[in-house]
Amino acid sequence: MKRLLFFIAFIMCVMSSSFGQKTLLINGYLHVGNGDVMPTAAIGIIDGKIVSIKNAMTTRYEPSDWDTIIDVEGQHVYPGFVAPNSTLGLTEIDAVRATRDFQDVGEFNPHVRTQIAYNVESNVIETVLTNGVLFAQATPRGGIISGTSSVMFLAGWNWEDATILKDDGIHVNWPPATSGGGWWAEPAPKSINKDYANQKATIEGFFEMSFAYANNKEDDFDQRLEAMIGCFKGKKRVFFHADELQQLLDVIEFCEKYAIKYPVIIGGHDAYLLGARLKDSHIPIMLERVHKLPEFEDEPVDLPYQLPNLLQNQGVLFCLQNQGDMEAMNARNLPFQAGTAMAYGLTEEQAIQAISLSTCQILGIDEKYGSIEIGKSATLFVSQGNALDMRTNKVNLIMRDGKLIENTNFQEDLYLKYKKKYQKN
Amino acid sequence: MTRLFFLLAFFLIATGGFSQLIPSNGVADSKVVYYALHHVNVYVSSSEFIENATVLIKGDKIEKIGKLISLPQGCVEIDMEGQTIVPSFIELYTNIALPIPNSAGGFRPQLETANKGAYYWNESIHPEVDAANLFQIDAKANENLISMGFGFAVTHVQDGIVRGSGALISLGNENVNKQLISSHAGNFYSFSKGVSSQSYPSSQMGAIALLRQSLYDLSYYQSNKLNQDNSISMDSWARNLHGPSFFKVDEKWEILRANKISKEFGLDFIYIASGNEYANVHELKKILPKLIVPMNFPLAYDVQDPYLARQIPLSDLKHWELAPYNPKYLIDNGLTVALTSAGIESPKTFWKNIRKQVEVGLSVQQVLEALTEIPAKMIGKDGSMGSLQDGKLASFSVFDGNPFDAEVTLLESWQLGERRVLSSTQKNKLLGNFTLIIKGKKYELQVSGTNDKPTGKVYFTQEKMVKKKAVIDTISSDVTITINQADISMAFDFPNENKTGGFQLHGKIKREGQIIEGDALLPDGNWSEWAAIKKQKTETKVTEEKKQGNNTDESPKSWLPNLAFGRNAELQDFPLVIKNTTLWTNEAEGIMENATVVCFAGKIIIVSKNNVVIPPNAIVIDGKGMHLTSGIIDEHSHIAISKGVNEGGQTVTAEVSIADVVNPDDINIYRQLAGGVTAAQLLHGSANTIGGQSALIKLKWGSSPDEMIIPNAPKFIKCALGENVKQSNWGDFNTVRFPQTRMGVEQVFYDGFVRAEAYKKEWNTFLTSKKTENSITPRKDLELEVLCEILSGERKITCHSYVQSEINMLMKVADSMGFTVNTFTHILEGYKLADKMKEHGVGASTFSDWWAYKFEVNDAIPYNAALMNQQGLVVAINSDDAEMGRRLNQEAAKSVKYGGMSEIDAWKMVTLNPSKLLHLDDRMGSLRVGKDADLVLWSDNPLSINSIVQMTVVDGKILFSIEEDKILQTRNKLERARLTAMMLSQNKSSQENQKFKPKRNKHFHCNTIGEEGSELENSH
Repeated sequence: MKRLLFFIAFIMCVMSSSFGQKTLLINGYLHVGNGDVMPTAAIGIIDGKIVSIKNAMTTRYEPSDWDTIIDVEGQHVYPGFVAPNSTLGLTEIDAVRATRDFQDVGEFNPHVRTQIAYNVESNVIETVLTNGVLFAQATPRGGIISGTSSVMFLAGWNWEDATILKDDGIHVNWPPATSGGGWWAEPAPKSINKDYANQKATIEGFFEMSFAYANNKEDDFDQRLEAMIGCFKGKKRVFFHADELQQLLDVIEFCEKYAIKYPVIIGGHDAYLLGARLKDSHIPIMLERVHKLPEFEDEPVDLPYQLPNLLQNQGVLFCLQNQGDMEAMNARNLPFQAGTAMAYGLTEEQAIQAISLSTCQILGIDEKYGSIEIGKSATLFVSQGNALDMRTNKVNLIMRDGKLIENTNFQEDLYLKYKKKYQKN
Repeated sequence: MTRLFFLLAFFLIATGGFSQLIPSNGVADSKVVYYALHHVNVYVSSSEFIENATVLIKGDKIEKIGKLISLPQGCVEIDMEGQTIVPSFIELYTNIALPIPNSAGGFRPQLETANKGAYYWNESIHPEVDAANLFQIDAKANENLISMGFGFAVTHVQDGIVRGSGALISLGNENVNKQLISSHAGNFYSFSKGVSSQSYPSSQMGAIALLRQSLYDLSYYQSNKLNQDNSISMDSWARNLHGPSFFKVDEKWEILRANKISKEFGLDFIYIASGNEYANVHELKKILPKLIVPMNFPLAYDVQDPYLARQIPLSDLKHWELAPYNPKYLIDNGLTVALTSAGIESPKTFWKNIRKQVEVGLSVQQVLEALTEIPAKMIGKDGSMGSLQDGKLASFSVFDGNPFDAEVTLLESWQLGERRVLSSTQKNKLLGNFTLIIKGKKYELQVSGTNDKPTGKVYFTQEKMVKKKAVIDTISSDVTITINQADISMAFDFPNENKTGGFQLHGKIKREGQIIEGDALLPDGNWSEWAAIKKQKTETKVTEEKKQGNNTDESPKSWLPNLAFGRNAELQDFPLVIKNTTLWTNEAEGIMENATVVCFAGKIIIVSKNNVVIPPNAIVIDGKGMHLTSGIIDEHSHIAISKGVNEGGQTVTAEVSIADVVNPDDINIYRQLAGGVTAAQLLHGSANTIGGQSALIKLKWGSSPDEMIIPNAPKFIKCALGENVKQSNWGDFNTVRFPQTRMGVEQVFYDGFVRAEAYKKEWNTFLTSKKTENSITPRKDLELEVLCEILSGERKITCHSYVQSEINMLMKVADSMGFTVNTFTHILEGYKLADKMKEHGVGASTFSDWWAYKFEVNDAIPYNAALMNQQGLVVAINSDDAEMGRRLNQEAAKSVKYGGMSEIDAWKMVTLNPSKLLHLDDRMGSLRVGKDADLVLWSDNPLSINSIVQMTVVDGKILFSIEEDKILQTRNKLERARLTAMMLSQNKSSQENQKFKPKRNKHFHCNTIGEEGSELENSH
């Protein structure tokens, strides 16, 4: 531990830039992110890229070949975890309207972009970063098409600097298949949403209009439709927020009809009931919160905990996300949601994959991120113990593109400040 | 002169002694003196049925009923052969002939009553509302009740908590003075605030407290009339108290709640039930209340679409099947049951549901009694109504058969001796095919629809020569048919003699519809006789499917509780042994490997590493490789609460108590058990400065509210500080109630406690002084009594708090008033002043890592618990959230990460420490001999992310286990399938069904306002 601290101090001085830097991370228990592990790994990093991964027990290395050698013996090395579909960085204090920047006026807002509203100085994001969640998909809310999300790093000098993937996709809030219900004081009959077909048609109409615009050679400019072009050219993903069976089936059909190249379903409560149909459609799922109560009275008590494993067993590509109450601050608990999924059926490495490589695949950033493999970016973290367990998730080192990132937050500062106060007394 | 006198006497007799003289225009109305009804089958009372009897009526009373009775001369005699007389039913729960009150509320909170005048201070307490004053004849509503067989009703204004008095009326009379039999037939109460737009009360516990306070105010008013300001409300209430008291409940548990008030004030409530009392029968039979039970049984749900049907809670499906058994199950258990038609619109449905009662196993006598004699007794009128014994009021219904056996027609309704013919005795069975003959030509007439409203079609078939070939040609036309008793008129257009024209027929129905004959006006303008003769054989009766026999063994059973995962039967109490396991004792022994715990009669009797003697009949569990801990105690929970977690109507509501509204029917109880929680403090919310009293409960899934409440537990109350009490995040309308700043919060506390001190002094002076005739018993004030308990230390405060300034403030208030704050909950800035808290002697119950949801949690840090713990405070981790409450072990484990707490200390934060904060550590919180057998068996170290609850034990009973959970899941699935199949067959055979109405998420948080959980994001 002393040695590590020494190294960190040393690195802070030396590594203001990763350019040309050669770093060796040795003796850590490597969780690759793709299901593989290497109990004592030597990870070679040059210019921010992973250039070699070898078994540290069986391979000799020449210390002079490396600018920096970080020994993390007994610790665990993980690819950066990802919190997709989150308002992280777009909100600071839920109850204070002035700090909420994730929902604008209008039903079809594909042109509204989260990237530029992302607050790198948010106090919230640094508390998430320090638990090993290094990325977030800053996601807009509201309307039928909420807007365009971007994948952001949870630290940076400005939003440009923090951007991992600009404008990664648009978010479609699929209409509810059931409607009515009134409100608590006057419950009204719930039934099949009578406007469902109409609401679906509205979305179809918008996509048809956008598709036509995308193929139009004339130089009319439409701000809103311009933002849709990427969806048809495979440059932007289309994220469908849908949970109910009826919605999921219709989203599958919709994606076929409009040949959406990269569709994603977010939520997917009922996805476990669809089995092969979902797998065959090749639509991945960003699964609802694991730490959630069952939807219905007679749903199994632990169904929300079981859902990841149910999808895993059906061979569906999925990752975890955390949308819901207090989602921004709660993003730091994403590793523990994966941990709960592990307790309820996933293997440890599957659980890690569900918040790293799978997420990056679904977001389309897996070429560079999501696993610790040769050729990928050295964007990773080291934890004292199992990062999926609350007791042992202690992040000692965070690296983005081979560069060390400051690993503290204001909460820790306050802790130390008051700890000192009591020590003085 | 003598003649005039005679007439006057006649009039008095005929009106049955109602001697109100109304000037009549011309000579006084003529009346029949005696009626004799012959050859009729009579239900004289529920227990006496006479066939082929004669009923002699004199004026408005029954003179005599019997097989052989001598008749006076000059009777009007009516032959009622084959007909059945049933005494008029008595409806006790209706608002017919009364206005429906409206709400005049606005957006802003209304803190004071809007009722001008010398009334009670709260709009929902209006004993002065007198149905008799407001009563106007409402012919249509009258008609509907009469058609069901009712003759009397007690009607009242169905609004508010103290609703006022009801009026007993006779139905079906056009003389309003005669119809009103008595003006104060009963007082009506409920827990529903009604149309009052006053902010208080906003919850059921508030309604309970308000009702109790107003009853205390009433007795104070009565005993100190001379020293009191006048109150019209109190005057009326005092005046009317002598009558029966009716209490309308919306839910089975409300009977138990109202029953406590009934005992406290010596009011013998008769409950107007909600219809799901069958699921509470084991509690009700302990107190044997009188009930007025509805028969508006739910319709089958529309379950054709499986996507939608799966959303219907299993408990709703079960209720659909069980509801018709409600009256029977209550009567079988010895309860006094009257039946009400409330909620039923059509007489047809009413009678269908009556016969359903006989089908499910009640006798006709029991059903009839519940509609007549029992309600009569309830209002003290069994001397004059409820049966037809000699001398009782001649109010009854005449049917053309026995209405308890099959669907029959109501022919006549007699009210107070006055006859009304509602339907002809003629039984027209018109449906079928007729040969219609008009002027020698034969037509075919098909009559379909119903016998009351038939429709018809007429056909004429003739041979026609088409291209020299004979072709059978049939033409047809629709027929409109109107029936007025035995008279029928029909009309249709038809080609006649190659001209189209109208046929208009009028005729008499004869031989019950076998023959119809009369005169027709033909298209050519001529009249002709016509006749229609029914064709035989055409009337093929569709034999009804054989009804399911009322085999009582197959009667549906309610679960405990009647929800998914409810048990089929109560659990037996067996000794329990868990052996070979790792114990987290929370005692000096620390963690014990390979040890055994033995429980007996709900207590831990052995904790040992040695071999132990296993008691006979014990359930023995091998805990090898597993970990056993004491149960998790959630210091801050809002599950299992009925109708409102906040009484937000006032700033100080110390008088309300969560213990009054504990709701065992919350699925989250089971879900928390599955997370290892065995006990919880159910706290009032944080909407006001001094909130309400807590309920300390054990999570006894399947028990009654009182069984869940921990006996002899210390008294607690919730207080709150900061943004919620100053309504910072409630929108711009909520800027009226004091306080709106932290400055004001301090003053609210001082005001409350200073008033409490004065109150105490007033009582002390009274109690210690010599009583004279002039000494006045002080007014009992429920709010101040509770504040006095706080001052004396008898009741402990759990205070919702965030920032250090306010925390410090409350400690100073407490210091200056001479008490100690017991617990700060949330306490997210506790780490900033843990030293001051230590000095004051207060404990802390906090979230592990919540923050960023509002401004006052900006400095919340997850190291809070560890820092406070380091300073020697008793620190607990709580949930305030039904979801997080079921993985408090994970939340505790976070302090190992944030602040480096030891695992044993972390574990104590959800077990031993909360038990200390609740002063229950003498019986919970650790594995020690003599403590309650509240245990959790974990698959792993309970703080590990991999740990899964295998079994949860409360008071020695296994209330959750992984194995049983699997069995219950399968059983739920089968039960849903069975009920869905029943509904599907009903969906097919009947047009009537209901769309599923979803229940909203009823998860309360600290700041949830109103009687139900909101779906708004919570802000704690």
